[in-house]
Amino acid sequence: MGSVVEINPLTRVEGHGSVKVYREGARVERVELCLSESPRLFEALLIGKSYAEVPEIICRICSLCSTVHKVTALLAVEQAFGTEVSEVTALTRELIVNGGQIQDHALHLYCLLLPDLLGVRGVAELALKAPELLKTGLAIKKAGNMIQETVGGRLIHPVNISLGGLGHRIGKEQLLRLKSELEAVLPACSEAYRLFRTPFPFPLLPVPNCLALEPVCHPLSADRCRMTDGGTFAIRDYREHILESVLPHSHAKYARVLGAEATVGALARLSLGASLSAGAEGIFRTVKEEILGRDMRGNNVAQAIELCQAAERALELIDKLLVIGREGAGNLKVVPRAGLGSAALEAPRGVLIHSYAFDAEGICTGADVITPTSLNQGALARDLLALARGMEGEETSQMTTALERLIRCYDPCISCSVHVLHL
Amino acid sequence: MKRPKLAIAGLTACSGCQLTLLNCEDELPEVARLFELVDFPMGESGSDPDAVFDAAIVEGAVSTPADLANLFKLRNASRLLVAFGTCALFGGVAAMNNLGSKREELLRRVYGEGGDGIESFPPSPFRNFVSVDYTITGCPPEKHDILALLAALLAGTLPPPQCYPVCTECRSRENLCLLLERNELCLGPIIQGGCNARCPATGIVCEGCRGPVREANVAQELELLLERGFDRKEIERRMSRFTPEWDYGQRR
Repeated sequence: MGSVVEINPLTRVEGHGSVKVYREGARVERVELCLSESPRLFEALLIGKSYAEVPEIICRICSLCSTVHKVTALLAVEQAFGTEVSEVTALTRELIVNGGQIQDHALHLYCLLLPDLLGVRGVAELALKAPELLKTGLAIKKAGNMIQETVGGRLIHPVNISLGGLGHRIGKEQLLRLKSELEAVLPACSEAYRLFRTPFPFPLLPVPNCLALEPVCHPLSADRCRMTDGGTFAIRDYREHILESVLPHSHAKYARVLGAEATVGALARLSLGASLSAGAEGIFRTVKEEILGRDMRGNNVAQAIELCQAAERALELIDKLLVIGREGAGNLKVVPRAGLGSAALEAPRGVLIHSYAFDAEGICTGADVITPTSLNQGALARDLLALARGMEGEETSQMTTALERLIRCYDPCISCSVHVLHL
Repeated sequence: MKRPKLAIAGLTACSGCQLTLLNCEDELPEVARLFELVDFPMGESGSDPDAVFDAAIVEGAVSTPADLANLFKLRNASRLLVAFGTCALFGGVAAMNNLGSKREELLRRVYGEGGDGIESFPPSPFRNFVSVDYTITGCPPEKHDILALLAALLAGTLPPPQCYPVCTECRSRENLCLLLERNELCLGPIIQGGCNARCPATGIVCEGCRGPVREANVAQELELLLERGFDRKEIERRMSRFTPEWDYGQRR
């Protein structure tokens, strides 16, 4: 007789979702991933708004990654108008994106995922059973947040980074304070991978076809994507290569990239040869064999490696910012013109694309955002099915625990994924 | 001491208000010790569907039948209901076009024909449906506001309401007045303070993320902005970003 097992709501993830496993006896027929977040219709809301308002509104798609949404939107609008920003502005933006990466990975690894490794319900029980580990994670998270607050003016939905420049340049004292905070947590960032290396007893899952931005020396100017299977395309042509469709049970779109189910995120970046800082490179060499060419469970270790990478990169950026004089600073006036701008960045969860069209007065006539979670949705659904099938015959509770665990390997950000469907 | 039981949840939102609690890195372990986080899907697995709470702290606007059902459930299960953040209080960013466009049109623009099957209504604040015992404003809210609420709950009370505009703190910080001295479209005079004028302090105008201050002189702000040459449409667009329903006074 057929039966349905439901995990509702998904917990310790951002946003609202559920999973249904349809079984015929012990056999798993299909698995439905339902991203049920209420749609906020951002794309439609942006039409008719001025270019200056676009980044301020669109960053509200998501709180966890509001910084990278804001920076990507700034880049896309500036690209539409042909604006080139100063060196200080570019470096400061990269610094805050790294701050966001640190806070986001630390939140996911230490508050949302760690309970799985220790077999507890969540962050509250962690505080009682593993207070030192939680404290370490929160200290790392706090350092990332300190970058976001110092540079962005507040912790979520940053304001100080704006079109053509900065509200104010970050002063020497503030940079030095960030530097000492980062140096204090760097040892913990470098050790994090040991904790998240813990193997877990899943059956083997499909090997992902990774998608990431082509590594360049200035990550904010990447203009091409590439995949494990060798496929590559320019960001400005993304619409021709990323095809989306709607699934009846989900408010998020299902994307295929160059005809395949792509996987984005930390593991994808490391697999496709992201350029790493010295410390992160060392760790990566140690765990490479365990994670490359294997399934998605390596993503959490990859995130831990990126904690170290982001902290080291942020320190480098601070050193650069400390020596640039007035000549490399300054804001530019943004002059609107009719045009289309598309930009992509590596958000904590993977490739993020923003694209906007404007008329001659700078009023938005079209908006499109492709988020990492919508890119990952197909691969996640595929892996959930493979995992459920691989665990046929086992206790239902063991299967649901494993499915939830797999979802947290992907670290989905559901409010990002549903609000900006473009069909 | 009995640990107060909390529900922390989100409706139509970005999770930013819940993240604000998780951003209290120094206080979080203490919060976990002093409260029972009975229902907090973003941070805790496993919850009891029949649980009751001393306080439900809920973010987001109400925009779907599921949101509404969830809001009623939390209201019924909790002694206190706290509207957490601008969306819960005023509708927030998702509601900015409520007065200008029909919901069905927006849905169709985003989802195409498939939009017809989606159950969704104009995002609305909690007070349209239930009684609310306390509010915390902001997009995002300030950490000190959620911490003050938690501290008050432990003491069996609620914090006093704040009621002064952004300009109060902005002037006492001796910031440059972006509205009068740089002729920029700053909403400080009519927006609830308590953020220590974060944005004007970095040189960026107040975008109004904390919603209207009580007894805001909206007509006078509108008059001032029009006098300074701003376009009426632009002003209304800016003002409705977080709060769709303003009383424009004698000018409407």
